[in-house]
Amino acid sequence: MTPTLTALGGGFRAEIQQLRRSRLLIVLTAVEAVTFLVLVSIFGLTGTHVPTAVVDRDGGSLARQWAQEMSATYHTYGVRYMDARSAQQALGRGDVAAILYIPPGFSQHMAHHSMIRIHFLVDNVNADLTTEVELGIPPAARAFGVANHFPGIRVVSAEKDLVRHEVGFIPYLVVSALALAAFVVAGTLAASAVAREFENRTLAYLKLSPTHPLVPLAGRLLATATVSAIAVAVAAVLVVAGYGVAPASPAALAAGLLLCVVIFSCIGAGLGTLVRRTLPLSALIFGLALALYLDSGSLEPARFYGNRLWVIAHTSPVYYAVGILQYAVHDLRVTPETVPVNFAALIGWALLAAGAAWLGLRRAVVA
Amino acid sequence: VITRAARALRHTWTLAAHDVGLWRRAPWAIAAALIPPVALGLLLYILTFNLGHQPIALVQEAHGRYSDHIAGIFQAQAGDIYSLVTTDRANAMRLLDSQQVAAVVVIPPNFDAGVARCPALQPGQIIRDYTYARSGCPAAKLQVTLNNANNNFADEIRRALSETVSFFDAPDVVTPISETQLDMSDLNPYRVNVMTALTRANTVDYIHYAVIPCLVLLILSVGVTGTALLCARDIERGTARHLALAPVSPVVLVAGRLLGGVLVSVVVIVPTLAIAAGSGLIAPPTGHWAALGLVFLATAVCAAGLGAVLGAIMRGSRAVSMAAVIVCTYLFFLGGGFTTIQFLPTWLHRMTAFVPTSYAIDGLRQSLFYPRLYGFTADMRVLLGTAAVAVVVGGLVVRKAWTR
Repeated sequence: MTPTLTALGGGFRAEIQQLRRSRLLIVLTAVEAVTFLVLVSIFGLTGTHVPTAVVDRDGGSLARQWAQEMSATYHTYGVRYMDARSAQQALGRGDVAAILYIPPGFSQHMAHHSMIRIHFLVDNVNADLTTEVELGIPPAARAFGVANHFPGIRVVSAEKDLVRHEVGFIPYLVVSALALAAFVVAGTLAASAVAREFENRTLAYLKLSPTHPLVPLAGRLLATATVSAIAVAVAAVLVVAGYGVAPASPAALAAGLLLCVVIFSCIGAGLGTLVRRTLPLSALIFGLALALYLDSGSLEPARFYGNRLWVIAHTSPVYYAVGILQYAVHDLRVTPETVPVNFAALIGWALLAAGAAWLGLRRAVVA
Repeated sequence: VITRAARALRHTWTLAAHDVGLWRRAPWAIAAALIPPVALGLLLYILTFNLGHQPIALVQEAHGRYSDHIAGIFQAQAGDIYSLVTTDRANAMRLLDSQQVAAVVVIPPNFDAGVARCPALQPGQIIRDYTYARSGCPAAKLQVTLNNANNNFADEIRRALSETVSFFDAPDVVTPISETQLDMSDLNPYRVNVMTALTRANTVDYIHYAVIPCLVLLILSVGVTGTALLCARDIERGTARHLALAPVSPVVLVAGRLLGGVLVSVVVIVPTLAIAAGSGLIAPPTGHWAALGLVFLATAVCAAGLGAVLGAIMRGSRAVSMAAVIVCTYLFFLGGGFTTIQFLPTWLHRMTAFVPTSYAIDGLRQSLFYPRLYGFTADMRVLLGTAAVAVVVGGLVVRKAWTR
């Protein structure tokens, strides 16, 4: 027992020393992880509030109310009041995506309930933006009509929400991104620790160890997992403090992230064994994280993508991790599976990943 | 002078060709450069299928004239702004609970009576009496149960449902400017008819708009990673000292290294473009191939300059490769590769003006999608200016690193 523990501790210390000597790599790994948080935040900023110029040639109170309804209805438009010339210039520069011209006499027409035409110039830079901008108009017109009790509106909708406190898009995204930050940090550090053994040809020396040759390597992986756990904890604190997100269940958050670190360290060890080169590992893991990001319910519950993608999502641990993290932070249920089932699946993944990494490494050491 | 220039060119070419050969023999370096753009391209490709298609369940519990009419509108708009499942209430709630749909819309049994209570506007009707409206006309109510896990997709669903409901009372709130003959405004209770006009001759579908910029990421990633690794390799192996002592002008050596970086990008982008054009993924308008080539060449030169700076100031291939991934990702995202720049908040939008890739991506889109190269000259002016600065700075930094 003692030689095993000594070998494990030796591997742990050796890796910590190695990491202390490669501070730049640790910084870059942390930057990669934070990059995910930044990128999803940028992505989240683009979902709503399309900058739209309003040229108010009427100036009446109802015209202002129309523009306010545009701004308020489902966060579609970010309204900016401009004169016609500035609006045209802004559209040309791409500063606004559309211009709405409220004609003179608009307020009078609305007060007398007579029909008026409004011109709307849209920069159809792509089909998605064009549809988004055009789709926002009927709800705004409707909200204006309902607010002013216009006659002839015969149908309204009565909405009942499943979630009492609706979560903003960016707070939702950054919580999902924590799982991927764990993947990037734990995966890269563990994969590098293993791949370095192959590159430096030190793996053969492990066979001379008085214990099982994989024990020192396990010590190294334990060290990378510890450092990863600290880095992920820092990222989680950043999310909590920076985005003002208070976790509903801190214990579940900690347990979920810790399981992520364990799983991704094992997956990283497996990747390191397969690739056996340190050079492409960070790019490979970053690329894999991008692919995992989409099909994991990071943007919205994964099942809304359709059954095919949802079934594929089950093959990724990130799916279960996002389910746990969204519950732990926002008290949301984003997977049809319950939280205990998600935890059980993650534990299963951890065992599977550890077993696969152990087998792969054993085979490599023997070879 | 001519002989000397020819010799310098030969030396430059020799070093560049040598660098391309080295890069070709480093499959892991190639993998490191190719994986991020390929993964991002795949991500964007899959993401586009999910746009604006939230699953909704429709429960029709009334079967009168108005109920059938609004159910017909739901059916007609399905596929464009949401996907629709028609079912009974119990099953719809089961689907909502198991997250197979994001919302349940119920047309209740009293829907037709509710609609009938609020008379529609009649053609030519001048409304003077608002009393029934102001007293709160008991309009028919569609019952919506919504999974509002986050406000982005919840608002998307609300917007889509509001569009459908608006269509029931007023099919012509928004009318394309080309359809001025269509006028049902007498029946429109919202009393506005928004005439939309588009500024561009054609609207690019989102798949092409989003995925094509990955070509810029590809050239950027290959150029930056390739040049940076070649520079880092020289410093790691000590061959930089040999280069510094070589009886060749430093300008020639640095030019050879940067040309090598550009050629590495060209080696990757030319076959990619050939495959994309052959498979019909890209089809630039006639006469735009030269513009396209210029965008790629200028981007490749920028990438080589940037890669030279990275490779010269960082130590170790792994650090260089990681830094290259991070730099390329930020340049791509902030350049509008992953998002539509117009959506960004003002402060971030202004910041993108200083990101050279935004000009490369805009130039690429102009040369691929639009018949007139609107703003292309300005894009190229900035991009070529950045390329010149990158070459000069990259050259100086590499030269300094070699002599250190």
